[in-house]
Amino acid sequence: MLSATSGGRGSGLGFAMPAILLLLAFFVIPVAFLLMRSVTEPAPGLQNYATLLGSTTYAKIFFNTFFVAGVVTAITVLIAFPVAWALAIMPARWSAVIFAVILLSMWTNLLARTYAWMVLLQQTGLINRMLKAIGLIDQPLQLTNNLIGVTIGMVYIMLPFMILPLLGVIRKIDPAILQAAALCGATRAQALRRVLLPLAGPGLASGGLMVFVMSLGYFVTPSLLGGTANMMLAELIAQQVQSLVNWGMGGAAAFVLLVVTLGLYAVQLRFFDQAEAR
Amino acid sequence: MTTPFLHINGIRKTYGDVVATDHVELSIAEGEFMTFLGPSGSGKSTTLYILAGFQDPTAGDIRLRGQSILRTPSHKRNIGMVFQRYTLFPHLSVGENVAFPLRVRRMGQAEVAAKVKRALSLVRLDGFEDRMPARMSGGQQQRVALARALVYDPPVLLMDEPLSALDKKLREEIQFEIRRIHQETGVTILYVTHDQEEALRLSDRIAIFNRGKIEQVGTGPELYANPATHFVADFIGDSAFLSGRLASLKGGRAAIRFEGGQQIVDVPLHGAGQEGQAADLMLRPERMELTPEAGPAGASLPVTVQDITFLGNCTSVAARTDWGDALTVRLNFGHPLAGRVARGDRLNVRWSPEAAHAFVRG
Repeated sequence: MLSATSGGRGSGLGFAMPAILLLLAFFVIPVAFLLMRSVTEPAPGLQNYATLLGSTTYAKIFFNTFFVAGVVTAITVLIAFPVAWALAIMPARWSAVIFAVILLSMWTNLLARTYAWMVLLQQTGLINRMLKAIGLIDQPLQLTNNLIGVTIGMVYIMLPFMILPLLGVIRKIDPAILQAAALCGATRAQALRRVLLPLAGPGLASGGLMVFVMSLGYFVTPSLLGGTANMMLAELIAQQVQSLVNWGMGGAAAFVLLVVTLGLYAVQLRFFDQAEAR
Repeated sequence: MTTPFLHINGIRKTYGDVVATDHVELSIAEGEFMTFLGPSGSGKSTTLYILAGFQDPTAGDIRLRGQSILRTPSHKRNIGMVFQRYTLFPHLSVGENVAFPLRVRRMGQAEVAAKVKRALSLVRLDGFEDRMPARMSGGQQQRVALARALVYDPPVLLMDEPLSALDKKLREEIQFEIRRIHQETGVTILYVTHDQEEALRLSDRIAIFNRGKIEQVGTGPELYANPATHFVADFIGDSAFLSGRLASLKGGRAAIRFEGGQQIVDVPLHGAGQEGQAADLMLRPERMELTPEAGPAGASLPVTVQDITFLGNCTSVAARTDWGDALTVRLNFGHPLAGRVARGDRLNVRWSPEAAHAFVRG
């Protein structure tokens, strides 16, 4: 692994050139422009950033964004882990079918899926009617136009991104290792905490980071299922640029999001390098 | 009769219509080294897995010191096990792997350290505490697995073909280690293998499994000298089997007639049969002798030499009877015939009386 990357470094750069040029033209340069506009519009200086990080309105938007992303990531992990484990140990034919269903939902149009959730979650929707029918509630629950709706919709959309990397690491774990743990005296909880979770760690970290970062910048689901009162960062950027034509503010918000994302990625890289080095 | 230390009592396990084990009945003494020997699919691993608690039997019971353990989950059985595959925890160091059973038992730090040190010393891996399993050879990993399985002083240690992934030389080395560890610790060992040599080398007693049942239990010499069934005779030792029919029976001894009329008399018969029934004559290779002269009537046969192979300490002569059954005779190095025998030679095979057994074909 090490020799392959270090040995092929000279020739590898040539092959990577198209990708590098593409990134340069369509990512690095536009981002640089955006960064420029965020410190030059409407007037040169850091006032856009000062407003963004100083006012309580924007603080609430940041809080919403990180809170929802965090909750979505946590719930996704809690659902995806048992699903991935079940997929890994069930007979191959069954797991192939369920796997296909998961992929199929991933490939279905995002808007269609989000609208489907709106139908399910609205006051007269299927979920409220069912809860009422079985007598759990008297009044319909408010499940759309707030962060609950956003969280539900996003967990559903993010699940495949958590299940896939988890399945990758869990499939590599020999079930005999868990049998060994059991005979060593470990209860199920101890085997989970001391063996399964550490071994699935890399998958949890990469899946979790992917879900968290994607959630931070997600636009469609928050704008359809969330209310205007509970804005998230991507909505703020769209509003600033599209409605208010305030490129400076929009650029500043986008740049803050980018820095946070890259920062998280750097943390994960370090975490991984240490895990690999052991 | 006193209560056996470990009693496998009529274990039966079925998967749908498939019977994995049937009426497996075995008593094991404390400190005994018992090997389950048999071909793959013979039910020996299933029996071991039921002991470990990974599978529940369809019927039967397993009692340790008189107490049934079937209702105890694996993690409370306090049984040690070494697996066929490498099952060390890859994210833990050797020391932490061996400490694992003690940590889940919430043992104090000082005691854990002392026990880990002693267990690693037992398997001759002193000072390997900080090594990661991935950086060890297969043989070393299985030794660590052995240390991990013994560190909590289990009353019974299960070993499921632990050496099958290793090469022959290393296998013999670790077999020797396992014997020493068995003697030093006095732990009761149940060992599964399909390798007869390994079984003979390690075990106090061997249970021969075939098609889900135990065919015979005994020490190596007992099984070799007095195989109860055709299968046992075939599985232990490289014997020749000559097919004929029962000509006469008297008091557990029989005469066998072969195609062409040749007859062998007065061999012990295993299994119930009657005159005219198909039966096999078994001959152990080291008890057969090849001579140019005709042997005693009823205890020798004429054969034609098919092939000669020099093997160093002996020469192996493959021959065929007049009705076409194959048998192999070994001539020790220096045997007068060894240099002179040639393909196509007509010779006579004779044997000492205790080397022949007859089995009713069933």
